[in-house]
Amino acid sequence: MNTTLADSAPDRPRSVAAPAAKRPGEILLTLVRRELWEHRALWLAPLVVAALLALVAIIGRVHIEMDDAPDLSSESQRVALFSIVQWVLAMPLYIVIIFVGSFYLLDCLYAERKDRSILFWKSLPVSDGLTVCSKLLVGLVVVPFGVFALALLAHLVFTAILGARVALGSLPPVLTWSSYEWLRTEAVMLLATFFAVLWYAPIAGYLLLVSAWVRRAPILWATLPFVLGPVLEWVAFGTRYLLGFIDYRVNGIWGILGVGHLDIVSKHGPHHTVGTALAVLDFRGALTSIDLWLGLAATAALTYAATRIRRYRDDT
Amino acid sequence: MTAVIEARGLTKNYRATRALDGVTFSVEAGRIVGLIGPNGAGKTTALKAILGLTSFDGTLRVLGLDPRTERDQLMREVCFIADVAVLPRWMRVSQALDFVAGVHPRFDRAIAENFLSKTDIRMTSRVRELSKGMVTQLHLALVLAIDARLLVLDEPTLGLDLLYRRNFYDTLLNDYFDKERTILLTTHQVEEVENLFTDVIFINHGQVALCAAVEDLSSRYQQLTLAAEQAAHARELQPFYEREIFGRVAMYFEGRSAAELGAFGELRTPTIADLFVAKMQGTGRP
Repeated sequence: MNTTLADSAPDRPRSVAAPAAKRPGEILLTLVRRELWEHRALWLAPLVVAALLALVAIIGRVHIEMDDAPDLSSESQRVALFSIVQWVLAMPLYIVIIFVGSFYLLDCLYAERKDRSILFWKSLPVSDGLTVCSKLLVGLVVVPFGVFALALLAHLVFTAILGARVALGSLPPVLTWSSYEWLRTEAVMLLATFFAVLWYAPIAGYLLLVSAWVRRAPILWATLPFVLGPVLEWVAFGTRYLLGFIDYRVNGIWGILGVGHLDIVSKHGPHHTVGTALAVLDFRGALTSIDLWLGLAATAALTYAATRIRRYRDDT
Repeated sequence: MTAVIEARGLTKNYRATRALDGVTFSVEAGRIVGLIGPNGAGKTTALKAILGLTSFDGTLRVLGLDPRTERDQLMREVCFIADVAVLPRWMRVSQALDFVAGVHPRFDRAIAENFLSKTDIRMTSRVRELSKGMVTQLHLALVLAIDARLLVLDEPTLGLDLLYRRNFYDTLLNDYFDKERTILLTTHQVEEVENLFTDVIFINHGQVALCAAVEDLSSRYQQLTLAAEQAAHARELQPFYEREIFGRVAMYFEGRSAAELGAFGELRTPTIADLFVAKMQGTGRP
């Protein structure tokens, strides 16, 4: 007769106090933290760039003394230059995060299958929908607006260091601080970030879908259709509609906003402050653009598809 | 009492191969069920179906839920440790606790911390810095701290040394198992854990070869050991498997009484490991 140890198992009373579920908000917050734990490049890379900007402020030399140097004797020119520097300083941060963020979105649902950790994530009471949404949230909200905040801080640090150097006499006073223009430039950058997120959202959704779908080489699968498609179309029909479409989905929002009408920098240096964009750019037209909303609908569809695919994905 | 797992006609095809072929079984609460089968028999596929990790045909209810569409709800009451450590290698021990605490309503962090304090695992270590045995301990710590009703273990101790293996199962029995909890376990080291099982399910070629409570095995199966010269007579009673060891023959019978067999030689209930080998090798023999 086989005896089983299990027969002597205790009859423990179960705790009935345990709640049935966590609130989705709390789970989402945990999921977002998890993404930042795993993908440290999302915050490390911008921090490194911000540190480099501070380094430039400390040791950089100003080479404004060029032949076609702008007339910096006028205060309005110095304020315009101030706002342009504020804008230009943010650019490296945004450029870095476009690359890091794209790789993140393309990698996040693929890596969890490659290292088999998907079996751990799926052993917890978190739905596929919430998981995929957390990754989209990181890619489209946490990272872009986090970078916006970091750029703001980096610029303040940069300006403080520069101010200290001017006070010590090691730099000429080329920039004039204007709280009004500072605020307007930040507003322009916040709006630009906002519209960029809305416009590029379908690309994020597409990257997530590829990430959830492919069994290997996600970068290849993500880029190949956009290389082969236009080439095949050109060979087969001699037309370039696909190339035009891709170009539109990449650059279109700036045309809709009317970036071409801006008159901030001229050949002779700063012309107007960045803040003038608030009056020039067509934000209302962008927000009511049908293409922007079609893109958001496509984002929802792509995200839903990624969720459905993840449902039956295991570590194979 | 409703069944914890109720599977009927579970079928799953991977392209040309049929991993599960009409698998039917049920598991009740308070049992420790061994799911045993040779490599490629469909064990892992069956577990994945139960955990909502793969699609399948047939009906399957786990704790009254459909794993295909209600996995996230199901996982509030089900825990899972897989054959190789699946904890993400980049994660810190403290992050693992933070994460499970943040998503699992039935996780008691104090239990996990208490268990970990008795091991060599440090809170600041990353999973990739831990040995295989320690990763399994960490996973066990997380699972012990979750007030779940079903624990699914897929070769949990594969590749661990004897001390870790013994510790693992002792902890499961002492600190986890009770009459309302169910454990479903696959392992290749059947001899080591066979006195744990209350039930066994043998699975082969995607089909259930045997599904029985351990206490019923003694009345169903007999192992007869006898001298080779007498084998011909005993063979008339149609053993489903026999093997020869040192000039003696061991025969395995199903549904024969002790009175029928006792006269031929030494009679006993086969161990689960012996029965498994007999069932797997003997299939199709007279």
